[in-house]
Amino acid sequence: MIAAGERAAMAESVRHAIASAPVRAGGGADVDQALAGIGWLAMLEEEPDDAVAIVFAALGAANATATALDDVLATALGEKPRPDLAVLLPPFATWEPPGRIENDELHAAGLASARVGAAAARVLVVCGTAREPRRTVVPAAAIAAETVRGVDPAARLRAARVRLHAGAPDVERLDPAAWRSAVALGRRAVAHQIEGACRAMLDLARTHALARVQFGRPIARFQAVRHRLAEALVAVELLEAALTAAREQPSDEAAALAKAIAGRTAATVTRHCQQVLAGIGFTTEHPFHRFAKRAMVLEGLLGSADRIVLDLGRKLVAERRVPTLIEL
Amino acid sequence: MSFSAEGQSDSLPWCDLAGYRAALHAWLDANHAALAPRFEPPGTIDDRVAQMQRVKSILFDGGWMQLGWPERVGGRGGSPMLRTELGAALAARDLADPGLFSLVEVLVPTLIDFAPPDLAAEVVPRLLSGAEIWCQGFSEPDSGSDLASLRCRALPEGGDARTAKRWVIRGQKVWTSLAQFSDRCVLLTRTGSPESRHRGITAFLVDMHSPGITVAPIELINGELEFAEVFFDDVVVPAERMLGELDGGWSVAMSILPYERSSCFWQRIAYLYRRLQCLVEAVPADDRAAEVVGEAYLQLHALRARSRATQHRLAATGTIGAETSIDKVLVANADHAVYDAVRRLLPGSIELGDDSAGRALRSQYLFSRAATVYGGTAEVQRNIIARRLLDLGGDE
Repeated sequence: MIAAGERAAMAESVRHAIASAPVRAGGGADVDQALAGIGWLAMLEEEPDDAVAIVFAALGAANATATALDDVLATALGEKPRPDLAVLLPPFATWEPPGRIENDELHAAGLASARVGAAAARVLVVCGTAREPRRTVVPAAAIAAETVRGVDPAARLRAARVRLHAGAPDVERLDPAAWRSAVALGRRAVAHQIEGACRAMLDLARTHALARVQFGRPIARFQAVRHRLAEALVAVELLEAALTAAREQPSDEAAALAKAIAGRTAATVTRHCQQVLAGIGFTTEHPFHRFAKRAMVLEGLLGSADRIVLDLGRKLVAERRVPTLIEL
Repeated sequence: MSFSAEGQSDSLPWCDLAGYRAALHAWLDANHAALAPRFEPPGTIDDRVAQMQRVKSILFDGGWMQLGWPERVGGRGGSPMLRTELGAALAARDLADPGLFSLVEVLVPTLIDFAPPDLAAEVVPRLLSGAEIWCQGFSEPDSGSDLASLRCRALPEGGDARTAKRWVIRGQKVWTSLAQFSDRCVLLTRTGSPESRHRGITAFLVDMHSPGITVAPIELINGELEFAEVFFDDVVVPAERMLGELDGGWSVAMSILPYERSSCFWQRIAYLYRRLQCLVEAVPADDRAAEVVGEAYLQLHALRARSRATQHRLAATGTIGAETSIDKVLVANADHAVYDAVRRLLPGSIELGDDSAGRALRSQYLFSRAATVYGGTAEVQRNIIARRLLDLGGDE
């Protein structure tokens, strides 16, 4: 882990790069190119924890769209990350490997980043079960991908399907620990992105509360409004603490909890901030909606809060043991 | 982590907190029979206080109770985190009520920082060894969240505050934990004008056996007598029992915050994990239980992560402040969440159970509701968060 001062400088350069990203052909900012320009892949290789925390929080805070999650997952799966390699994500809200092999055929369905259908020449597909995972790399041409518009078209997700003769691609065994660590690191990345989005929403609501005058005073003077913003801050700080713990005393469970807490935090922050923003929070004139919608989409990547809570809860009641996970 | 440089003692045999924790748990395992409660839960407040004192005395004899306290008050030095780990280990094993045990965390630092050194050296070991019980006289009937409005009066005998050898106290305190058992009280009094607010408050260490003190226990919603009203009717206190400066009592009151919001919380968190552990041992392993337990677990974990970060910040910087209002909000929410889970998954236990388990859960459940009130209400915490952390300006 790098020193605090260096981390702050890194965060600043990432923010700056994202803010000044070049325009992509076809519109929108080319954040991937901006990240490549400041050495994202080298950062990810040298200091994966800091790189993931800083880059994803900055993406969330800027409502920026990138495909860096492909690199995070590829790294954890033992593949050298590169701009033309995508990783197939499990379907919305889930985290089991997205593929299965049946009758000598590889079937896979899941979500994919904008790399699929654009830069990606190859797609890494994990199949089987979390306990006995296997992996294969298929040519992008073998993937049928449709653009997902959904609530947040700017997230540029794809719904992807693969159907291939299993004999064709090389299907290898994958260490279950590699899949688990990919899910864990991916969850932390997405949770950091949600944290960034939540801080942005809180900033917007706070600014609005201080500026908006009703009954002759800024609405920030009203205790009901103040308490909503306080609740939102509590939720964001909780998420940050959970992410710090998941980084400093890493475990699959700590990463899972961080992702679940991110989901709860996003729900809390969205609810309170939208209420404080009131009318303007229900329009597309104000930027709030972009963060709220992005958080809704991110909530489903690599496991929703509800499903993670149920999964962890099942383990607790089955084993009749409540581990503390983190120590002082 | 390694111990903070401040408070590091060469004489302690453990090189890090994990090593200490392992040694502590091995010792607690070995001494389990001697330490285990002699009563069926929940026991009476008398049972629980006696248990705490007995545990303290055994720990003191074993040299554990002195860890993390400076040598000038009879401690063995080392990081304050050693105390935190000890209290958490006791809570996780149901050996001592963390609400009672962690009172040392809000009493001893006051003596260390504000008492004349001889006084601190004389009395602190008596508290740590279980020979004495102390209480904290802060709240008053008209001063709850608004502590600076307190009125319990201390007047200098002879009229001159600078030369008085003795002070005379008249007034009332309320919500004084364990007052009826206590030998001493860290008391906040009004020494300035009635309007002087936080500038006119002075702290004393008052002997609870002094003539003029009347203690009236308050029966709580769970039938317990943990708290009391304390009446001071011209109680005489020697001037050398003043803690800190004349009219400097506000800083005495504020100085306990870092301990209350770090070590005490960590002990409470360990206790709540223990309660959730007991719950998973009692519920069917179905999806409904999984959901409810999972939700409470999420809250506990998040709180533990936050509290851990707070304590590392305290160890690194030596201070924590308004941001601990977030910890206070979270610990109260988690307390509610754990007992809400118990009530949902064990229907009838809390409401009707007359066996030991039912009585213990009922008592704990009813008390848990106070988590959003004691130590600063949830509303006051949110006010602090809004003003100090979100910088929303004044609310008037």
